[in-house]
Amino acid sequence: MAAGQGLIDMVDWRRIRGDFPALRRRINGRRVVYLDSACMSLKPRQVIDAMNEYYEMYPACAGRSIHRFGEEASNAYHASRCKFADFLNANQPEECIWTRNATESLNIVASSVNLPKGSKIITTSLEHHSGSLPFVERARRDGLRIEIINAQEDGTFDIEDWKGAIDHSTSLVSIVHSSNVTGTVAPIKEIAELAHDRGALIMSDDAQYAPHHPLDVQALDVDFSAISVHKMCGPTGMGVLYGKLEHLESMNMFLFGGDTVRDVRFENGKIVPEYLHPPEKFEAGLQNYAGAIGAGAAAEYLQSIGMHEIERHERSLLESAMKRLLEMRHVHILGTDDISLKTGLVTFTVDSVPSAHDVASFLNDEFNIMVRSGWHCAGPFHYQMGIDPKMGTTRASFYLYNNINDVNAFLEGLATLIEVSS
Amino acid sequence: MPDLSRNAQCVLKILETKDSLTTTEILELASTEQYSDVCTDCAGGDAFVAAANQLVEKKLVTKTFGKGGYRWRLVRG
Repeated sequence: MAAGQGLIDMVDWRRIRGDFPALRRRINGRRVVYLDSACMSLKPRQVIDAMNEYYEMYPACAGRSIHRFGEEASNAYHASRCKFADFLNANQPEECIWTRNATESLNIVASSVNLPKGSKIITTSLEHHSGSLPFVERARRDGLRIEIINAQEDGTFDIEDWKGAIDHSTSLVSIVHSSNVTGTVAPIKEIAELAHDRGALIMSDDAQYAPHHPLDVQALDVDFSAISVHKMCGPTGMGVLYGKLEHLESMNMFLFGGDTVRDVRFENGKIVPEYLHPPEKFEAGLQNYAGAIGAGAAAEYLQSIGMHEIERHERSLLESAMKRLLEMRHVHILGTDDISLKTGLVTFTVDSVPSAHDVASFLNDEFNIMVRSGWHCAGPFHYQMGIDPKMGTTRASFYLYNNINDVNAFLEGLATLIEVSS
Repeated sequence: MPDLSRNAQCVLKILETKDSLTTTEILELASTEQYSDVCTDCAGGDAFVAAANQLVEKKLVTKTFGKGGYRWRLVRG
């Protein structure tokens, strides 16, 4: 038995697969093979039940209503923040801000963090548009400089490029921790050390990393982290911004309104607000209580299985897929084939079918295999690689509910496509 | 056709000009100046092809897979 094999077997993956109602569907008499988790994960019964319980049993405002429903909603809302803080290993729950998604988390930092005039922001060519555009626009708004570090062709970074780029004029580094195109994992800890040595903050886009790997924001020493809950078995419209409390305290507010204030006085004809500390400072208006409760349930669900186990499971599926893909005629993989550097996804082109959308459509139409095609909101990297974004690339992404049968179905479907198209 | 999305209207407009077109040809045409008034969301191609697939569901368009990928045709008459 290979090292680690015993640990893998300790998890009953078949039982876990049974937690996901969507996988029981049959379409045109066939089972569903869902390989688009990098975009949207399926939801387990435990998360759906937690959210339904809120709507059915105590659908009230948290924090302010003094009746029984309000108290139960407040307790569940707070408990969810604590669960999420534990999931990330945040120092305290107040460092976790509920947002709509990682995009909003990135935008809050980009628009509200204090950056000195004339300073430099560094980001990369591998970012999702949600990771680059907020900082491009911040730089434009405030006349800051922005430097782009090119990812290498295999989707990794040369640490020497970072050493050369991060200088004492750098105020912020924003980097995707795990790419949604190549799946490559960036050396965040090393880059955070470089940034801090030169007085810069570091923002980690963890939308793809958090659902698939153990994430410890304190060990990595990142200043901010952006997470999309919908990619980690949680509800849509929910995200988290992690920030070290000292930074959240000093940041400008993003939205103003109800629930953000300690007091709003009326003095000499003027309205004078006094704002609360984080997290309330960043959570204006009525919140998505069901979503937050679902987010907490998702974090708890994943932790109950174990993030190391999930990482190992996905990599074992990816390894099986990559091994055959590398041997397939007409298939070209984007990024490294070193599994140890990757999240459980593979992106590729098929040279007998120029449009990736045709690959995705064929797999869906003929086999119920659901993969993603397009530029994956990562236009710059596609341009860098000389791939026409509108022709796109095809991405298959694996998660805890996938199994070797899914991998085999995908590979057989792809082999059929190549046979018919070439 | 007011119930069709802008992307779907774009696909129909392009297919009106030819007997049949491949996905690549449609996407190339959609990004030209000639169709820039209706074809505005073709940069990544995905939303555009999703709209084309909806036209197949509505039986306004057919598609067949063969060498090089899908070929799309307008259902005429």
